[in-house]
Formats: sequence, structure tokens, C-alpha cells
Amino acid sequence: MKAAVPFLAWLAIFLSPAAFADEAAKKGASVYKQFCSHCHGLNMVNPGTGSYDLRKFPGDQKERFVESVMKGRGDMPAWGDILYPEELEAVWYYVITQNGTKLAPAGKQSRLETPQTSTASELIVSDTLTVCLPRNGGIMSGARHKGGTGFDYDVSRLLADKLGLSLETTWYEGELEEESDPVRDVYALLAHGLCDIAPGYALYENALGDPPSARAALPRWHDRPKNLPSGHQVDLQAISASRPYGRIEMGVVLAAKHGEKEINQLNDLQGLKVGIEQGTLAGVLTVKQAPRPVVASAVTYPPGPGFLWKMENGLFDAALISLPAYDFHRRQNPITSLRLSTYRHPISFNIGVAMLARNSELLTRVDNALSTLLDDGSIDLATQNSRTHVASPSPPFIRPALTLSDIVAERRIAR
Amino acid sequence: MKSGWGKTATGIIGAAAAALIAQGAAAQTLDDLAADKTTPGNILTYGMGYDQNRHSPLDQINTETVGKLVPIWSYSLVSDRGQESHPLIHEGVMYVTTHEATVALDAKSGRQLWKTMLEYPAETPRVACCGIVNRGAAILNGKIFRTTLDAHVVALDAKTGEEVWKTQSIDFRTGYSMTVAPLIADGVLIVGISGGEYGIRGYIEGYNPENGERLWRTYTIPEPGMPGGETWPEGDAWKNGGGPAWLTGTYDPELNTVYWGVGNAGPWNAGVRQGDNLYTGSMLALDPKSGSIKWHYQFTPNDPFDYDGTNELVLTEIDGRKVVMQANRNGFFYVLDREKGDLIAANHFVDRVDWATSVDLTTGKPNQTETAAKARSGEQVEFWPSAFGGKNWSPMSFNPTTGLAYANTLNIGMNYKAVEPQYRAGVFYFGAEFSWSWPEGDRGHLRAIDPMTGKSKWTAGSAIPRFAGVLSTDGGLVFTGAQSGEFEVFNAESGEKLWEFQTGSGVVGQPVTWEMDGKQYVTVLNGGGAVYVLFSGDERLAQFPPGGAVWTFALGGN
Repeated sequence: MKAAVPFLAWLAIFLSPAAFADEAAKKGASVYKQFCSHCHGLNMVNPGTGSYDLRKFPGDQKERFVESVMKGRGDMPAWGDILYPEELEAVWYYVITQNGTKLAPAGKQSRLETPQTSTASELIVSDTLTVCLPRNGGIMSGARHKGGTGFDYDVSRLLADKLGLSLETTWYEGELEEESDPVRDVYALLAHGLCDIAPGYALYENALGDPPSARAALPRWHDRPKNLPSGHQVDLQAISASRPYGRIEMGVVLAAKHGEKEINQLNDLQGLKVGIEQGTLAGVLTVKQAPRPVVASAVTYPPGPGFLWKMENGLFDAALISLPAYDFHRRQNPITSLRLSTYRHPISFNIGVAMLARNSELLTRVDNALSTLLDDGSIDLATQNSRTHVASPSPPFIRPALTLSDIVAERRIAR
Repeated sequence: MKSGWGKTATGIIGAAAAALIAQGAAAQTLDDLAADKTTPGNILTYGMGYDQNRHSPLDQINTETVGKLVPIWSYSLVSDRGQESHPLIHEGVMYVTTHEATVALDAKSGRQLWKTMLEYPAETPRVACCGIVNRGAAILNGKIFRTTLDAHVVALDAKTGEEVWKTQSIDFRTGYSMTVAPLIADGVLIVGISGGEYGIRGYIEGYNPENGERLWRTYTIPEPGMPGGETWPEGDAWKNGGGPAWLTGTYDPELNTVYWGVGNAGPWNAGVRQGDNLYTGSMLALDPKSGSIKWHYQFTPNDPFDYDGTNELVLTEIDGRKVVMQANRNGFFYVLDREKGDLIAANHFVDRVDWATSVDLTTGKPNQTETAAKARSGEQVEFWPSAFGGKNWSPMSFNPTTGLAYANTLNIGMNYKAVEPQYRAGVFYFGAEFSWSWPEGDRGHLRAIDPMTGKSKWTAGSAIPRFAGVLSTDGGLVFTGAQSGEFEVFNAESGEKLWEFQTGSGVVGQPVTWEMDGKQYVTVLNGGGAVYVLFSGDERLAQFPPGGAVWTFALGGN
């Protein structure tokens, strides 16, 4: 589970396809400038004498593009080791749409050969529950030399025990940066047969059922074959999710000197210097819903563990943040002076276990096991052990996608 | 030698003397380097003399005879990268570098004597912001020294090209590279690092030329607590603060001082590093043996414009005063007392300079404009000159007789907005959105500049700006090249173009002149590419293919 819903993911939740495309081009422009411009020219304009004129790149030869970028070609260096898959996607989009000025050639993007590792059998390794978890998922999941840690990892172990299976974990790179897309990551991991289930999956309508795109790049994972090109894409399949076993909320964290301040709504942030966690849903909600003077004087910092450390160091007084992010900070800094107020933002997400939709028998088994674990207090215990503020699930189990009006105004959502 | 033990004292002394003479014939000494300017048969230093005047007393090729200039030989560099190497010549052998090879040529015939290829990791070009180039070699005691794109310093045997030693300066992966031609000063081999656009912490280093041992490293950005550290904000900004030192410094043997320019601060967004940010956008006066800083002068404090202070520092005397001069990227032509660092003159040398109206000669501080303040505060601004500078790296010449500096200057503006920077090791760290603002007419001018006023005696414009170095001679001539492939000669008095030759690819190299057996030669590398080709998007250059070569010219006929 991500500490926060990343940028592209929340854009995808509520933006129209056209607006999403525009954002994608912007992201592509930024990647292009950082990685490509010094050889291929600003905005892809170059004389074509020293380096390839990318404006002429055929829009139906994505495979060739990916090969050249990730492995290098001629004088061109390989970028496979530092370019993230979603950056490759973004820059490909940028190139074929010529910075968003042209339509992407529909249906002409050539496909990479996909190794079909998924089989009809329900479990990819018999008698074993294989789970995909982010290696670096903060308080929710973390790879260790042997086994793992975190709330979602603990729930996975409980599940495997309850199902009478042994547990294997495929640790993948989650939160590489704020723009990574956890939804597509999970679709790709499941479709590629790297695991049976992906716990800690945010349950909202757009994140379930048919895939958000026909294909997506695989995230990196431990034991990833060396010969698989970085950014390798797989065909996605529909996924479904179990009943929820927890709920992720957002709350306001206060610096010690304001620790007693009562917060009932974001309006109560008046008079505080507020930090905005860039590129996260909590950050966007702060910008849209906090009082204008507060936003005007707010400071923005990149997401991740460093964010709350900046608050610890006195750079701001208050921030809306997802609770697991606060929990993780508290684990890293047990003597933190930061205080979590009692306020909770009305928007929250249930989390459940994702799997391929066609594995209907597994779904039933997981649902039954989770019900038992919730009823007998095992999950509550896991919450306490991992010292997280994961809340009990509440209906609707699968929430509708966020709308623009959810974003612009803080309001109680009918449940 | 064993038999020698029993010989007489005279015999031993005689043998030693013979060894010395043999070495003297095969190699060159520090004295030879110091005398380079007055020995036109050899070119032993970057800039044709420690003072980097790029001016030769040779006058066989002159305003009368230049019409008879013809190519004598051409040598392919088998490279489609921009060629910026400054050729060296020692006893009839020419030494030239590319990013991937060092070659020794018979200077008279152009025949290859040896060629030593370099290997570097394929990822290296990722950290080269502005062209896969190398600017030339240094020579001492029978060794050729050069730097590599993956930040190594190498010594080769001048006779055979075999590697004598190779020392890694730093791991290139986080944004460090080297393109600089080394400088040998007081027996120390001095180099500077590149990477101002990658969040590096810049430095200059001294090596022992005999064995490649590093003698010192002077960071261009002091750490907190060191002098100058107070010009950086609290926090880590200084660690990624830029300050590359990617062009060769200048040496004054009399004062035993090395002058070295320091590049831009990083990221470009100056708002995240409030303070003057020493020693970015500055020049340093260094002790060559220890690398310690004797004094500094900062051209562009808290630079948001990518106004590197790296441009060549040219030494001369004006009104009996020993001075150092620089035509800075920021559009000012600076003249400083090179003993103490006092500012003598600082004037605009291009038509439009938006960031500062003047420089206070007493305090040395620029009087900055509203545009500069806006650029720092994150407002969208247009300013001239652009990050390309009023003059880029292409070195100027200085003719002490006419008192004029001849420089290829630029007429390009920039649209700019500082944005939040995101540091990521090994990729660009700009913190700015930018595009170019082009003039109606010529984008560059070759100018004959009066250093004390910045005013041009004449200008010779060109639609596609020139990025080649400039050479001047006592023949009343100024040599340079065009990105459209012409090697060009101008009248030093009037700016009239007297001669040109189409070399077949853009000229962004550094012309040099030398003599052998009573004949004057001019050598230049062609091979279009590098910063303007890569960054400008000037599609007119599509007509001028890359492809590097060494060209040597002399007067034809009898």
C-alpha cells in the first residue's frame, strides 16, 4: 500500500481522458528535458545531423523506441538502469504526440512479445500463496533479509496460515517517485503471474475490473531477470478484489507547539504555516480545500519520508497526510514531537486483496478467510502490532471514483 | 651499465650529461612551456602561451599574401562529435585529442604516427551536458596528458602513445565529467571538473605529472565553516551547488599564480540557494603547488542565468599594470589587476545585457536590474544574453600591438522561469523552464573589442553564430571558423573578410599557427557539433553534416 495515492493515479481517477493525455504529455516533456534534450534538442528540434531527429520517429515502432532508450543504440547511452518504467511511457507518449500536439496513432503501437507465464491453475506455485508487496511500502510493507515486516505483510501471513498455504513474497519497487502508478503496477504484476494476490489494494471503482490500459510496464522486482528490458510491457487482465480488511484515512499532523490546537475541518488550519506534500492526494486536497491565505503561505515539499522530517525541523506547523505516512515517521523517529490531531478527512479508501478476476475460487477462499480474521480479532491485533492507524473497513466497500467536486470542497461523503 | 661502475669520474659525468641531452631532445621542460609564446615552432600550451593570448608573431601569412592560402593536408578524426581540441606541436609532431582518441601526427605531412583509443563506459555521455568533446592535451617531459569524459586523467608516452598512468578523478555516474585541456604550472598538472548542470560540487585538482598521484583538490564551493561557506544557505544546497571548472586556466610564472574560472551555480533556480554562492561565477587565483586560493573575484553572485565564469582568462599589461581579462558569459568584459584582484574595468561587450547595468569598480559588485530580481523570484522573464552567454567557451585572441581582443560573441536571448528543482543523481538539475529568444538578424558577431571600454572597433555578423576559437597574428589577420564549415580569415584592422575555405563540416575548433623550415602553417579542427548544435534547434545546420578532421593550411606556390 502506498502512503499516498500518487499523482498520475489520482489524475486518472477523476480527469477526463483528454485532460489525462495532456498531463501525460506534460510529464513526458519533463522527462524528455531531463534525459534527452541535451542530445536530441530542446522540444525535439535539432538539425538531425548529430543525433536522431525524434520528430520523425515512427509512432508504430514502440518496441524499437524502448530498445534504443533502455539498452542504448550506437552512440546513444542506455538509460535502462535509471529511467523508471512510467518515465519511459511518458517520454514515448511525448515523442509520438510531439509534445501533445498530435494524436497518438490509434492501435498502431506495436506490441512486445509477452511471455505468457500465467496458467489456468489458480495458484502459481502449488500449496503456496505468493503475494506481491512493495519492498519499500513504509509502515505497510517492507522486505527484510528473511521474510518481511509491516501491516500488509502481517495480514498476508495470517491469510496464508488460514488457507493452509506457505507464504512466498514477490517484493517489488513501489514508490520509486511520486508519479508512479500503484494501480497499473498491480495489474501488471498479477497479469505477469508474479503473484497470486496483491494485498493493500485501494478499493475504488476505477481501480478494479477491466484494466485502465491494454498494456502497462512491469515495475522492478527482486529477482527480475537481467535480460528483461526495463520498462517491459505486459498485456493486462481484469482484476477483482476481496472484501476490505482495513481503511486508510488522512489526518492533520501538528507540530508540538500547536499540538493542542483543535482541528475539526481544514478551515481550522487558519494561522498555521502548512506543508503540502507534493503530488499526493493529501497535498491536492490541502491546496483545494484549505483556506486561501493558508494555501498562499504554505510550503510545498516532495513526498516521502523526508516530508515529515521537514516538519520535525520546524519548516512548517501542520500538514494533511495519509496516516500510514505518519505512522512510518513515528516508527523512524519514536521520540517525534509531531502530534496527530483527532481530525480525519472525509475521503478515505478501504483496502483489500487484489487478484486476477478469473481466479474466482481463490477470491471466495480469501474472502472467507478475511472474514474470520476480522471477526476473531486477528487483524486488529496485527494493526496494533504494526502500530498503524489503519481503521476498520466501512461501507461502501468499494467507493466510487473521486469526482472534481470531491476534490474542490471538503464535505462529508454519504456512506 | 654495470661496466660503467669501474670507469673514471669523467666518464660517469660524461654519461650523465649525454643522458640529459638525450632527454632534452625528446622532451620539454617547464622553461619550454614558459617560452611557448616566443617559440612559434612549437605549440606547447593551451592558448599558444601561458598568457592564453592566442596571438602569434608569425606574419608570413598576412593581409597581402592570405589570398594564396591553401590546404596542405587533412586528417580524418573518424568522429561525428563536435571537435574542439587545441592542437599541440612539439618538434614536428602534432598532438590532437577527440573524446575517444589521442593522435600524434607528422605535422608537415599529416601522417599518423600513433593513435591511442580510449574506452569509457557507454553510459558516460549521459552526464555530458553540452557535447561529447575534448579540448586538448598538455605536454611535459615526454608525456602527453589529457582528461577523459568519464573523469579520468591520463598520461601517454609522447613517442609511442602508450599509457603511462591513468588516475580516476571521481565516479562520473553522479554527473561528473572532464573535457578540459590540462594546464601544467610549476610542475603540477592541473585540471577542472565539468557537470554544472548535474548538481555536482565542482573542483580543481593538481596531479603529479610523473606518476598521476593527486596532490591537491580545491573545491569551488566551500563547505560550511570554511571561508565563503557563509554565502550558502543553511542546509545541503552547497553539496549540489555546481561550480564546475571546465575550461583551462591561465598561468603567470612570474607571480607563480594560476587563474581559473568557475562555472555556474546549480540548480539554475537561485531562489533555493540564497546568498552569493561563492565561488560560483567567479575566478580564482591559485597557488599551483598547493591549490590554495590566493584571492577570488565573483562576476555573477547568486547566478540564476547559467552565467559560467569559466571563459578563458587572458593575461596582458595595460598601462604598465599586469592584468587578467575575461569576456564573461554574463555580457561584461572584465579587466582585473592580477596581483591583487582589484577590478579595473567591467563593461558590456554585447548590445543587450539585461541582468546588470554596470559594475561598481570600488566594491566589484554588479548593479543588478529588476529583471535579475524577477528571475530569482520565479517570475517569467526574458533576458539577454541567454545561458549561451554574450560569449561562450570559444576562446578569444588578444593582440598586444593593437590592444584589441577578438572574440566570437553571441546575440541570443532567453525566456526563463525558475521552478522547483528535483535533484536526482546523474540527470539534469535545472530547476528552470526555458526557451530561446532569437534576434531578427545575426545571432553572433566576431568583434574586435577594446578591453577597457567593451566597445567594438568592428563587428562581423553571421546568421548562424560562430562557436570557433579565434587566432590573431602579426600578419594583421584574425582566423576563426563558421558552423557552416568555412575556415575564415579577417582583416584585424577593418573586420573585412579576406579569405575562406569550405572544410566540409562546421568549425568549432581552435585555430593555431606555427612554423617549420621557414614556412608558416595554420591548423584547425573542423567537425560540427557540441553545445549550439545540440541545444539551439537551429535547423539551418541540417545542411552542414558532422565529421571531424584536422586541416592544415599554408601559402601555396613559391
